[in-house]
Amino acid sequence: MSPEVLVFDILAVLAVISGIGVVVARNPVHSAVALVVTFVNLAGIFVMLRAEFLGVVQIIVYTGAILVLVLFVIMLVDPDDLPEFHAGRPLQRVFGLLIGLMLLGEVAAAVLTRTAVGQTGPWTADEVERAGGNVQVLGQFLYSGYVLPIQAIAVVLLVGTIGALVLARPDEAPSRQRQKVTSTISLGHPRGADGQFLEPLPLPSGATASTRVIKREDMRGGIVVTKDADAYTRQPAWQVEYGPESTRTPRQSDGSGTSGTGAAPREG
Amino acid sequence: MVENSQPLWISFIVGFIVLNVLLVGMAYMTWAERKVIALMQDRIGPNRTGPFGLLQPIADGVKLLGKEDLIPKFADKRIFVIAPLISFVTAPLAALVIPFGDTITIFGEEINLYVTDLNVGVLYMLAVASVGVYGIILGGYSSANRYSLLGGLRSAAQVISYEIVQGLSLVGVFILAGSMSLVQIVNDQRRTLELFDSGIGIPNWYIFYQPIGFIVFLIAAVAETNRAPFDLPEAETELISGFHTEYSGFRFSFYFLAEYINMIVISLLAATLFLGGIDGPIADGFWWLLIKASIFLFFYIWLRATLPRFRFDQLMGIAWKVLLPLVLLNVLITGFVRLAFNDQIF
Repeated sequence: MSPEVLVFDILAVLAVISGIGVVVARNPVHSAVALVVTFVNLAGIFVMLRAEFLGVVQIIVYTGAILVLVLFVIMLVDPDDLPEFHAGRPLQRVFGLLIGLMLLGEVAAAVLTRTAVGQTGPWTADEVERAGGNVQVLGQFLYSGYVLPIQAIAVVLLVGTIGALVLARPDEAPSRQRQKVTSTISLGHPRGADGQFLEPLPLPSGATASTRVIKREDMRGGIVVTKDADAYTRQPAWQVEYGPESTRTPRQSDGSGTSGTGAAPREG
Repeated sequence: MVENSQPLWISFIVGFIVLNVLLVGMAYMTWAERKVIALMQDRIGPNRTGPFGLLQPIADGVKLLGKEDLIPKFADKRIFVIAPLISFVTAPLAALVIPFGDTITIFGEEINLYVTDLNVGVLYMLAVASVGVYGIILGGYSSANRYSLLGGLRSAAQVISYEIVQGLSLVGVFILAGSMSLVQIVNDQRRTLELFDSGIGIPNWYIFYQPIGFIVFLIAAVAETNRAPFDLPEAETELISGFHTEYSGFRFSFYFLAEYINMIVISLLAATLFLGGIDGPIADGFWWLLIKASIFLFFYIWLRATLPRFRFDQLMGIAWKVLLPLVLLNVLITGFVRLAFNDQIF
């Protein structure tokens, strides 16, 4: 057994084993890592076949770019949120099996009718060497005989890029003008995040008769400072003002006079 | 095509020497970095271990070996163990195609001062670098730590973006040299270019033809090796070291080794591609390559001491909105000039 055959056997066995690993692995990241191993071994086989360019491009494109993106997505998703990895509807399983068998049949047909028979194409190793090397032959081939397919692929990629842009675009363009920011000093500020006044909290039981609600229009534009959040919840400080003319109960004022201005505090 | 001009065992010996030189170079790169940054910041730097602190890297290595090896409880253990090895193994592999000199004869054996002359040498280096990213991504994933995961994700996005820019910045060189073999690229640069028949010769280095490509390559190289100011995957202020937060002891040192070896290799590559490699005014040899590479390494340290870190959206914006159009324009112009003045000036 020549060393080349030995190296090929090692690479092929590793590629097949890690290929099985892709399917068998329970964890999607393990699957992806197994796929990386498969790709690297395939690249090794390309190099053994004197197609260094193909091998290196296999690593750069598939291993270095596409699988990194796949991992990128897998890592962002919590594995518990992924659908069950080896399940599927019976119909899906049957179709998967059928398509897999068809693919296997195609590859087998190609191998049996070409390689096994010993029929070689026009580009033998000597021919490639005479034309200046692997890269040169591939380049001349792609950009002379296959110009149209290459340009079609370019258009497909462009469409894909534009599609990604459309999908990633927000539904409506972000508005440039910023809303006027209400300055909040303490947690007890009577305005919410949207600048609207909050509904007043129910007063504690002891503070009904002798309290008066500050009219909300008095507070417009002003800043009410409370001590802390606890002071706000226990005793709404801005509602409590001890004075002789305090007659109305907060419930009444809440229902009638002030709620109208509270709903639209910016008028005037 | 792999040149079989020398027996395989000589290639192995050359490769062994290159690997060890890289490891020693990496150790003293850390020393040089600490020393240079210290001087830039008006400090002294390491000066306790040996003369001028020269034994500091060895002391650091011994210290790292003695550290406890921690594996987080919820880590993906197999991947956690493999990830630093991926980074470490791929880093020196890229140096195999760099030509360190011509063929010399020792004890009657013809020895090429490069391990192999791949006809896709430059692409091979890019491919190896792109596999090395897996070390960072998988390390970030397997640590079961949000910060590590964020570091890994940042690294994935950053490296993919800058890989494209880096690859395209080299296309101009390919067009000029008509080859992707580093040996041929160096040989092409070793001719002396005579300016307008005036008798003044300047070196035929590609930096003079490809200034845009050179600058873009330099920027992309800093981003590819995750160094300041593009060291977002390990931004310590926001990610607590990012992808290697959970690594300790010798596993951490694998990442450390890989980072510095990557810097050295990419400096060697830049010197080879744009500054003529082993070509010098007198006595061509690997010493010229080393001098040019150390200029780039000094540049790395200088950047780290000078520039603050980029924001992540700025980083991506530079790659896609500035550098990519620039290199595409560069490829276009180079291709056009090459086609229009074919074989007249090149």
